[in-house]
Amino acid sequence: MRIFILVFVALFIFCCALFLGPQIIAPGPLSTIEREILFSIRLPRVLVAMLMGMALGASGAVLQGILRNPLADPYILGISSGASLTAALGIIGGMSFLGSFTVPVLAFVGALVTGGIVGMMGWKRGGLWPERLLLAGVGLSFLFSALLMLMMSISTDEGLRRAMLWIFGDLSMSEWSRIPWGLAFVVIGIVLSATRARALNALILGDEFAHSLGFSPQRERFILFVSVGLLTAASVSLGGMIGFIGLLIPHIMRFFMGSDSRMLIPASALGGGSLLCIADLVSRSVLPPMELPAGVVTAIIGAPYFLYLLRKKDVLSI
Amino acid sequence: MKRYFIIISALLIGLSHSAFAGGSTASPQRIISLAPNTTEILFALGLSNRIVGVTTFCDYPQEAKAKPKIGGMSNPSLEAVVSLKPDLVVATTDGNPKEFVERLNSLNIKTFVFTARRLRELPHGIRELGAVVGAYQEAVKLADGIEKAIEMHGRGVRGQGSGDKGQGSGTSKKVLFIVWPEPLIVAGPGTAMDDAIALLGYENIAHGAATAYPKYSIEEVLRRAPDVLFIGKATGMDMREVSQGFLKRLSLVPAVRNNKICYVSDNLYRLAPRVVRGIEELAECLK
Repeated sequence: MRIFILVFVALFIFCCALFLGPQIIAPGPLSTIEREILFSIRLPRVLVAMLMGMALGASGAVLQGILRNPLADPYILGISSGASLTAALGIIGGMSFLGSFTVPVLAFVGALVTGGIVGMMGWKRGGLWPERLLLAGVGLSFLFSALLMLMMSISTDEGLRRAMLWIFGDLSMSEWSRIPWGLAFVVIGIVLSATRARALNALILGDEFAHSLGFSPQRERFILFVSVGLLTAASVSLGGMIGFIGLLIPHIMRFFMGSDSRMLIPASALGGGSLLCIADLVSRSVLPPMELPAGVVTAIIGAPYFLYLLRKKDVLSI
Repeated sequence: MKRYFIIISALLIGLSHSAFAGGSTASPQRIISLAPNTTEILFALGLSNRIVGVTTFCDYPQEAKAKPKIGGMSNPSLEAVVSLKPDLVVATTDGNPKEFVERLNSLNIKTFVFTARRLRELPHGIRELGAVVGAYQEAVKLADGIEKAIEMHGRGVRGQGSGDKGQGSGTSKKVLFIVWPEPLIVAGPGTAMDDAIALLGYENIAHGAATAYPKYSIEEVLRRAPDVLFIGKATGMDMREVSQGFLKRLSLVPAVRNNKICYVSDNLYRLAPRVVRGIEELAECLK
């Protein structure tokens, strides 16, 4: 029942984000310019916000489960740092071998390669171990962030600011051409993890427990890890890094839906998508015609709400 | 407008007096420039062999690249500056940290702060700098040339503008100067581009933005329908290729529809003598 309310809320927010903004577009007869804005600029942008938010929310919920750590988020594995590094290389180095796809593809490749390295580091005795994954991710994340900072501090090019804007999340470049790819990876990732939700429930309780319920902990963990990697890579390559959603949306959803992963994964996806749509709406509406970084707005809206919930409710578990 | 100039020049005169106050009479022989635009001015004043240090951003003219580097604009190295034993360090209010200049002063290194930020402030800034570095004659010549060029471009517009004054300023053509297409970063208020556009009698649609180089909404570009788009140059990039996808999304904008898109140089990016050529480029395209 509650999930239907969430679907409804997400749809409502989607429509708000589409029609509202610095200039409200009223449904009805549209001028040529308004039609162009609505279909070529806003619609792809709102879709990308929804997809990114869904990917981040869902992957956060899965990752907190497989790592059994409430502080885990899709960025803790270093995947986003790897993606930022390759994307910044592309931006500052002025690469354009794939046209406007260059940076998203570089980011996606960077994310997957990093995910692969983390997986290799976390692999021991025939499986992935949560603690190893987490530590490998944190280690790599530090390394890549440091390399990124190094690159930025020695860069003398005007590419610097562009790289910063990209890294802090930028939805203004969303075009239709990116959406099929994003949609494919996000759907694969969410479906893959949602079908493994029962196994995830068992994994949260411990490997022995999962084993006794008939799951192979290592195999399930591996599948879930791959789906997290895909989701994170897709979201970073769609629009850069947006903090907060992956970490705190799953917790907010646990307040409402409980900890059952079968509900939590879709709920976190919907919650994440909705929040990013609102944040993007705010970011382009408060100081028009200027746009603010969506990642900053997400945290400014989301964090106080999370803290309010934290005071009001008294459960907090994964 | 006039009052504005008086206030600005009053401020500048005040500052220049304070700059002179601590200085010696001998002209400095070892000058360090902490910003690319002051580097360009110093070179234009013919001081190339008295410049002993520049920032890593200083890439114009070619000889500037060969000068010893003292770090970036926002993070110059104090050690590097001190070790070059300068007798004058030229800083700007636009990019150098104030604390750095204070630190240099506390080490008894003479500094000059270049305060001009707008197009019309540039000639005065050059004269002041020229006086401090002992190249006043050259500076006056250079500044007068720039002033004349600014006057000339402005006059052309006034003559033309008085003709259709009846329709008011709302009829002036709308333009947008794009610094980078994706994400869209444009020249906003307070930039030399904005000043040059106003000087030429056109309207910069980003003039009302909150910052100098805002990240601009694509929706707004469509809505405000600029008649001309300028696309500035970035080092080592083919801007035609970079902006292809972006322009496709703006196919309804008059500038794109009528193919009034001008790829211009980076001459206006720095407040230096090159701005004259930058204004000419814009004027050429707007003809």
